[in-house]
Amino acid sequence: MILVLGGVGAGKKEYALSLGYRVDDFTSDPYDGKPVLYGLETLVRKDPLSADVLFSAACGKEVVLCAEVGSGVIPLDRGEREYREAVGRLSVRLAKEATAVVRVVAGIPAVIKGEV
Amino acid sequence: MMILLIGGSGCGKSYYAEQLCEKIPGPRYYLAAMRPYGEESEKRILRHRQMREGKGFETVERYTDYSSLKLPSRGTALLECVANLTANEMFGPDGSISDPVSRVLSGIDALAAQCDTLVVITNDVGSDGTVYPDSTQAYIGVLGRINAELARRADTVMELVAGIPIVLKGKLPS
Repeated sequence: MILVLGGVGAGKKEYALSLGYRVDDFTSDPYDGKPVLYGLETLVRKDPLSADVLFSAACGKEVVLCAEVGSGVIPLDRGEREYREAVGRLSVRLAKEATAVVRVVAGIPAVIKGEV
Repeated sequence: MMILLIGGSGCGKSYYAEQLCEKIPGPRYYLAAMRPYGEESEKRILRHRQMREGKGFETVERYTDYSSLKLPSRGTALLECVANLTANEMFGPDGSISDPVSRVLSGIDALAAQCDTLVVITNDVGSDGTVYPDSTQAYIGVLGRINAELARRADTVMELVAGIPIVLKGKLPS
C-alpha cells in the first residue's frame, strides 16, 4: 500500500493519477474493492472511533489518500481536537504499514518512505 | 546539541523524540510544559506517561520560567512543548497578555546550557488559514518567531510527518 499525504488541495489525487490509476479506480468507500481510497480524513470525521476498522480496510488498498489536518491552531472544540489527532495517529499507523509514503506539497510529490 | 522537532497534532513527534532520547545514555529528563486543565489533558498526560514508561525519564512539570530551572545533573532533556510554554508565558492566569518571546528563548537557552542533548518539540500553528481573534493571531505570530529563533539555534531541525522525520536542517541523528 502506498500512502499519499498532503494538505487539502495539495495534489494528492493528481499524483495517484500519475501512477497510472484512472478516475474510475477511486473510491471514498473503504469496502468497495476499488484500488485507490481517497478522503480517509473525511471517514475519520464521520466516525472518530472507526480508526481501527479504517486501518484494516485501508491496508487492503493499493493507494490511500489522506489529508494532513493537524497543523494550525489547536481548536477550541474538543471534537475538532480529537478529529485532528485521530487522523494523525491513523496516518502514523498506516505509514508504518505502507511500502511507500509520499507527501505532496504544491503538487510536488516527495517520497518520504520506501520507493514508488 | 539541540534538536528541534516540529509537526502537527498526532504526527508522532513525542514518540519519535522519546526514541531519540532513549538511545542516548545518561540521565534523561522529560520537561512537561502543558498545564493540566481538565479530564482531556489528564488523559493526554496519562497517555504520554505510559508511552515514556520504562524509557528512564525523570519527569519535571514546569509550565513557565525555564530560566530558573536547575536540572539535577547533565544529560538529555526533552521539552514538550514550545506551543504550550509560549501560551503559558503569554497568557497570565489573571487574563493579562505579555510578550513571551524573550522569556521562552532565554528559558530554552538556559536549559540547553545544562544539557548534553536537548530535544525540543514544537508545533506548526500558522498553517490553517483561519482568522482568529487578535490575541490568538498574536500568539500564532509569536510562536512562529520563536520557532524560527529555535531553528537558528538548533543543530538539527526535523518536521515529523506521519511518524517519518523530514530533515530541514543538519542531519538525522545517528
